[in-house]
Amino acid sequence: MEIISKISKGSRMDQVYIPKNRAGFAVGDHVVIRLLEALQEKKPPEKLYFYGVKRLEPVKSGIIHEIMQIIEKSVANYENIFVTGSFLERGFQFNDIDILILSENKINQEIIKENIERKTGIKTHILILNNKELSKGLETDPLYHMILNRCIAKKRFIYKTKQTINYKFLDLHLLKSKTLSDNFDILSGKEKYNLVRNTIAIYLYLKKNKVTIDSVDKEIKKALKVNSQEIKSNVLNKKAFLKKYALIYNKALAMILKGIEHGSKQK
Amino acid sequence: MAQNRNKLIELFIGNISNAIAHKILERAATKEILADKYRKELVNSFEIAKRYREKINPSNRLIPDKDAVYIKEKVIARVKAELMTRISKGYENIDLELIDTLTNKTLKDTKIIL
Repeated sequence: MEIISKISKGSRMDQVYIPKNRAGFAVGDHVVIRLLEALQEKKPPEKLYFYGVKRLEPVKSGIIHEIMQIIEKSVANYENIFVTGSFLERGFQFNDIDILILSENKINQEIIKENIERKTGIKTHILILNNKELSKGLETDPLYHMILNRCIAKKRFIYKTKQTINYKFLDLHLLKSKTLSDNFDILSGKEKYNLVRNTIAIYLYLKKNKVTIDSVDKEIKKALKVNSQEIKSNVLNKKAFLKKYALIYNKALAMILKGIEHGSKQK
Repeated sequence: MAQNRNKLIELFIGNISNAIAHKILERAATKEILADKYRKELVNSFEIAKRYREKINPSNRLIPDKDAVYIKEKVIARVKAELMTRISKGYENIDLELIDTLTNKTLKDTKIIL
């Protein structure tokens, strides 16, 4: 005999209610409780596409498969799903999982976020873009390049976009990183790293260099003489670091202002 | 202690000015850019300014007039300087009239002025 029932929340203990009138399962019998999903036929895990990710811990791989399933169940039409960010770095020092859903339809991201966080216990950050937004981002924004250079995708994808430099756009983005110098003491290591990464990515983009997480980290080491981990761990020599950071920030700003000047003269 | 307060006020001014300049530039370039969904997570100047404001006494009511006037004047001057650098390079569509409006609004939001 089998009975399917639902776990309900109790005040001191949760419980599974079963009908009083039943054949079998007498009071006092010992029973096994098992997830219904586990009894259903298990499909082999679907193939995912790895971009710029050389190794991934099996636990994380399992989580990503689960995330993909949750999204697939909740979103009827999507073009692709990407998992990006610090979750794909080696080890377990990530803070959250960054997910990008490519879709032309309106999606209730709060429900998906809640489901993922409930199932995995990991803070989730979801970004929903349509094709136009993604291609515009890839065309003008170094951060999009960096993010999609290291990701795990549900479907195979190839992006080829003409790279255009929009100086006003980069000026706005760079201005955000100005915060670092004035507020060094109040910022956490992660906040510092994000601001540095933003500056360096813009700097490399302006120099028409490839912008990937690796190339940005390499440039951080080269220009600022520290590695990314030191920034994230917030163990920097303030004076020496800010001196070098100001140099690279000002170089990027000068390139942008020159670009704006050149652009206005061409009109 | 007084020195600490002055330092906090200067840091507050720096961040508020940066936030206002960013807002004005964002409006100037609206047609050319897409919503910056990826950088939403970057710590922003306004949030940092709020952190400093909480440390400037009195934090839950208006600060003395003398300080408020000083902050307002300095914010306006800083934002103007930031924008003028760009205008001098030929950056178009920057609306300098927004400086006053946005400064007033931001300083009201942070309980600096009424």
